[in-house]
Amino acid sequence: MDEVIRRQITRRRFLQLGAVTAVAAACTPAATGTPLPSTGASAAPGGSAAPAGSGAPAGSAAAITGTINVSYPDEAGLKPKYVEQAAAALKAQYPGADVKIDLQKVGDDDFYTKLLLALDSGTGPDVFHVGGTSAGELADASYIEPLDSYVSQWADWSQYPDAVRSGVTYKGSVWAIPYGLDMRWLYYRKDDLQKAGLPADWQPANVQAILDAATAVKNANEPNVLPYALYAGPAGSSGTADHAFVPLLWAYGGELQDSSGKWIGDSPATQKVLTYYQNAYNGLSPKEILTETKPWTAMREKLGNGQLALLYEGGWVYGGWASADKAGTQQNVGYVLHPTESGGPSFTVGGPGTCWYISSRSANKQGAWEFIKAMNSAEIVGKLNAEDPHPVARQDAAEIPEFKSDPYLVASTAALSKAKFVAPDPGYSKVIEAIQKVTASVAAGEMSPADASKQYTTYLSQALGADKVTTQS
Amino acid sequence: MATTAVAANARRRSLRRNRLYLAGLTPAAFLLALFFVGPALWALASSFTNRALVGLDAANPRFVGLDNYIRLFSDPDFGRVILNSVVFVIGSAIIGQFVLGLLLALLLDHAQRRGFLATSLVYASVLLAWVNPTIIAGFLWVAMFDYYNGSLNSGLQLLGIGPVNWLGQGPMLAIVIANTWRGTAFVMLIFLGALRTIPTDIYEAARVDGAGPFRRFWDHTLPLLRPIAALTLLSVTIATFGTFILIQALTNGGPALQTEVIALYAYHEAFQNHAVGYGSTIAVVMLALNFAFAAVFLRWSRPRV
Repeated sequence: MDEVIRRQITRRRFLQLGAVTAVAAACTPAATGTPLPSTGASAAPGGSAAPAGSGAPAGSAAAITGTINVSYPDEAGLKPKYVEQAAAALKAQYPGADVKIDLQKVGDDDFYTKLLLALDSGTGPDVFHVGGTSAGELADASYIEPLDSYVSQWADWSQYPDAVRSGVTYKGSVWAIPYGLDMRWLYYRKDDLQKAGLPADWQPANVQAILDAATAVKNANEPNVLPYALYAGPAGSSGTADHAFVPLLWAYGGELQDSSGKWIGDSPATQKVLTYYQNAYNGLSPKEILTETKPWTAMREKLGNGQLALLYEGGWVYGGWASADKAGTQQNVGYVLHPTESGGPSFTVGGPGTCWYISSRSANKQGAWEFIKAMNSAEIVGKLNAEDPHPVARQDAAEIPEFKSDPYLVASTAALSKAKFVAPDPGYSKVIEAIQKVTASVAAGEMSPADASKQYTTYLSQALGADKVTTQS
Repeated sequence: MATTAVAANARRRSLRRNRLYLAGLTPAAFLLALFFVGPALWALASSFTNRALVGLDAANPRFVGLDNYIRLFSDPDFGRVILNSVVFVIGSAIIGQFVLGLLLALLLDHAQRRGFLATSLVYASVLLAWVNPTIIAGFLWVAMFDYYNGSLNSGLQLLGIGPVNWLGQGPMLAIVIANTWRGTAFVMLIFLGALRTIPTDIYEAARVDGAGPFRRFWDHTLPLLRPIAALTLLSVTIATFGTFILIQALTNGGPALQTEVIALYAYHEAFQNHAVGYGSTIAVVMLALNFAFAAVFLRWSRPRV
């Protein structure tokens, strides 16, 4: 029963996301009229939650002065020119303002830790750029500013569908502005699969079919071709959850939380997921994933050049392959939705993506907001997402030709109607740690799936408190 | 009456003498307090709180008594972490750095006394491992062991073998080898210095008495080296116990928990999982274990009669 309710909510959310799809791809005709979710996402309360400590009223035309410190991580090198463009636009509009950009060429995890240390010591930038799933824990720590009173006076906010808003809403307030949404694909190399006797338009009939295809690739004995890469362990970072454990759990009919919000530890679905891990790490997925620093670097590179046949990964990763070799990528890289235990490609894992936040300790919140507005103009959001492929967060951004003419972007946006989202919950980062530990134990061959599933309950209880954890049999 | 005056005089004299020592010690004591005692006390205080870098606990850190210690001692991974640390210390600090460093020092000392020309070459090459910053040393070994691009696997490929997943199949051995390579020079340097202080006539006398090389080492060299050996052992043990950069670069504790040592565990809890209070608890336990090592080694270093 509980599960049915949850499914309905999720389905409703899917349909709202269809609104985005409809604009960009005109492929979900029935979606737009669906009612709003009751998350309070639409509650841009008429200026009721005035941001503490900000002088000028939000959205006022008062001149912006002073320095705005912007800090963001970027390893791929796609964002800097747009950040510069936004800063230039802001400075042109407000000559008294200055934007100081702190580009950190480090991974998201390292950036986040550095940022938290700065925020914890009472310093840190005015504006920063981290994952939208962190909104809950950042808000709980009082590090970030609620944006309700800003967005309520921002006309463009109407371009953000409710499903997108709900991804950055926590305890009834909006905390961050997303630019592009996360979704994931099961990528496969058509050339490698064909050499293994599988069709170029391969469609897995169910989850097991992924392992079967990987086994076929392995048996084809192509030199330098790895059959499969499955994110696992702490080295896989949040990918171990979002690109592997979570979709597998959903594929096997499991859920992260029950209807009362308790995290589910040991369950039949958890055991099935861990059995899948055991099979995948029994000669199909390389164990180096457990010890490499940033194992995804090699995984992504190898899928791009045909040395890896199967990988479930973020939609944005396609951009790296396409920019290196567009024709080769279009010819050889296939992508399908995630299959389930008994059915073919049917869903993807959605997420709010990396978002822009304002520090609650910022001395220039109005300036910070103006920067976020400039950075999230329809033009920048459209162009950035066309280059760094994500479905756009604001609908009008998908109107630009670069976006509309790209079949991959159209397909990714359409896939959002099949996306299921992890509920925004500050406990999720602790859950990811538990997932990392148990998947590593099984992948390294140290623990049986059944034992690891029980250990998952133990880890969850230890990190979140036994009262917030349940099991299912 | 006279005796008390004498005693007071002696006290005054000793105070005057000690005042000089105290003045000399002050800068060192100040720096120690600032960089060691202060942070250690801060960690101790943090270990009784639920301090975190993010989430509700970051906004409202509070005193939680012994909760973190209770959690640590019921942590299903902690036993494994301690065992890994012990294996790593015995393997790389005691057997690796200490024994190998001592043997190298004996060999080089012997070679030097005989005027062997290549001595300085060997000396320099061992020293090179030590002068590298740890993170560089870590990356050097990653370049060696890496599965896809490592030089070991490239070499094997030339022979038509492999590739071997070095860090996956023998992760503990890999980090023990890397840390041994890194720290042997330090031990060798200390022992070379100590060996040079042993007068040659002791050995000559022993030789006249008919003692063989092993006997001379056991009866004369080793007892003379004991105080310095204990201090060296103490410092390499403590340094190895606290090693984390090298392991972080090589395996980051993986696969699973196979190379997760205590310093790495404290770091992961405090800065990766953002649980500063819990991470501090692990650090405090680590400090206590270091004190225990120090007590044992210092006791052993006392010259025996």
